[in-house]
Amino acid sequence: MAVNKTKKTRRDPMGSALSLLTKASTSSLVQRLNLQKPLEKVVTSGSKATFRAMSVANKRVRPLVNLASPQRQKSATGAGLFDLTPTDDQQMFRDTAERFAAEQIRPAAEAADEACATPVELLQQAHELGFNLIGMPEELGGMSDEWNPVTALLVAETLAHGDMGIALAMLSPAGVINALTAYGTAEQQGQYLPYLAGEQFVPATVAIAEPQPLFNPNKLATQAVRNAEGYLLNGQKSLVPLAETAELMLVAAEVAGLGPRLFILEPGFAGLSIEAEPAMGLRAAALGRLTLENVQLPVEAMLGGEPAGKTDEFDYQAILSRLRLGWSALALGSCQAALDYVIPYVKERKAFGEPVAHKQAVAFMVANIGIELDGMRLLVWRAASRAGQGLSYQREAYLAALQCGEKGMEIGTNAVQLLGGHGFIKEHPVERWYRHLRGVALMPGGFLV
Amino acid sequence: MKVLVAIKRVVDYNVRVQVKPDGSGVAIDGVKMSVNPFCEIAVEEAMRLKEAGKATEVVVVTIGVEKAQDQLRSALAMGADRAIHVTTDAQMQPLGVARVLQKLVDEEQPGLVLMGKQAIDDDCSQTGQMLAAILGWPQATFAGKLEIDGDKATVAREVDAGLETLNVDLPAVVTTDLRLNEPRYIKIPDIMKAKKKPLDKRPLDELGVDLGPQLTTTKVAPPAQRQPGKKVADVAELVSELKERGLV
Repeated sequence: MAVNKTKKTRRDPMGSALSLLTKASTSSLVQRLNLQKPLEKVVTSGSKATFRAMSVANKRVRPLVNLASPQRQKSATGAGLFDLTPTDDQQMFRDTAERFAAEQIRPAAEAADEACATPVELLQQAHELGFNLIGMPEELGGMSDEWNPVTALLVAETLAHGDMGIALAMLSPAGVINALTAYGTAEQQGQYLPYLAGEQFVPATVAIAEPQPLFNPNKLATQAVRNAEGYLLNGQKSLVPLAETAELMLVAAEVAGLGPRLFILEPGFAGLSIEAEPAMGLRAAALGRLTLENVQLPVEAMLGGEPAGKTDEFDYQAILSRLRLGWSALALGSCQAALDYVIPYVKERKAFGEPVAHKQAVAFMVANIGIELDGMRLLVWRAASRAGQGLSYQREAYLAALQCGEKGMEIGTNAVQLLGGHGFIKEHPVERWYRHLRGVALMPGGFLV
Repeated sequence: MKVLVAIKRVVDYNVRVQVKPDGSGVAIDGVKMSVNPFCEIAVEEAMRLKEAGKATEVVVVTIGVEKAQDQLRSALAMGADRAIHVTTDAQMQPLGVARVLQKLVDEEQPGLVLMGKQAIDDDCSQTGQMLAAILGWPQATFAGKLEIDGDKATVAREVDAGLETLNVDLPAVVTTDLRLNEPRYIKIPDIMKAKKKPLDKRPLDELGVDLGPQLTTTKVAPPAQRQPGKKVADVAELVSELKERGLV
């Protein structure tokens, strides 16, 4: 109805003007006011302009260039501002990790979670594939002389897609290797790196977290006091991966005048006791608690050595940033696993006669996981990429870790929710991933890039 | 004994390929490419022969675009000794590939040529057979088990009726089936070492090979969308449904 009405009353400008003129000329008011002449003028000049517009519209634009085929812009290649293509090496590393995660890690995850330990054979296999050697200098049996944290993160994420707890156990020695590579003295590197890069998997770990409320890694309760023989350590470390089996540990302790430092610790020192500390998630990483009671270490145990004069290469803040990046990468893998699991599930699971994915409450939740995950990944990659280029990355790493900690938990919760009752039972791995993701914000130590 | 392994770069088996809008083929820009899985099995088998002391050198070869060297690097990382990359942007077809390989076999004089039974992109399953024919060598295709003893090879192959065992004289062409072995994981240090292994680039034009008659692809189209099926409660409903559609 409305359409017809408009159609009826619609006129082109000329028509409207002419009709107005007819009306105007017959209007007694216009005649009385002697307005007929000027009005006619307005209308005719108006119709002239309309005729001009028409003649332009009728003109054809002549072709200026004869093209054999239509020209389109191709997608740009090469490293631009926003090129996220992995290098050939990174792609190959990831391919290996992907297959290993799917074929070996995922099937072993449930039992490892139950047993609070990852089978030694699996750790050995991962070690042989070289996942821990990415951050090791070539001369000592490693991969490269260039520090490329993005590569390490891609591999960590891919392994965590299999299972985050097992990935943490596998990569825990990499934390020690990376810290030694970055800050170790020549003696420390020569002593420990070839050992860690040898044929056997050597359980090793970084212990930073402490069992205290509102733990702040910059305010450590563990103290290292300088004495005649070296350093005397007292304190407790919690949620330490591979604690009970570790043959090498880096323990963070506060040194008066220097701030937090890492100390190289081997088990068997008098005063060191280790006990299992099974947690809600990441159980495959065999978390444990270290208690240090008057552990006397030699001076050489301080990572990087005592600073000589003003030069101090050791950077605890960088250690924390690298720890944050490592944990963020693990969270990405677990979140991606959750997303990959829920998508087919909600498409197949039927309620009220149709797949639950048809319900907006479900579809929106899945979409939000995808959006958050992409955002997390971009934050992590940006921080890691800056780190690899030698730019400042503390802020970026912090933002990434904060987002991965918070959103990781949310994604874990929502993934369980999306499975309904199935999310709650152990038949599906999602409850395990939920438990893992609760640990990301705690960053219990272990893996750093 | 030298073993020559021919491999092919194909779209990764996890990728769901899309037909190009103009129907000229499938879109492979920005798509993940991998070694054809059957070719990977061939490389793995060659490595096992070498580790068992049956082979002395494993040479891996591919024919294709510049980026196909990624696949050669994968094979080198698995343990192959050196690689030959016949570079071309042309679309290769089985007969052309067989003729190029014949040329390389003449040069390299391997005791065994191993290759996948087929590639997962075009599923031709012709190249190995053609190569054996033009070389005048014995062939054993779809190998599920391979044993080398001196100058003889015993090949168990999966055929429709069960397992068939062939004895062939070497040199021979053997194409590999899925259950022959499970390829190893590529170690990260080996990926780096593979960079230092020799990779010989040979432009196709310089080999002077006549590729032979070429097939022309007229059109590529995705399979027609299947109509959803219908579940019937019992036989009576099935029969009436069939009658309704004029099928019985």
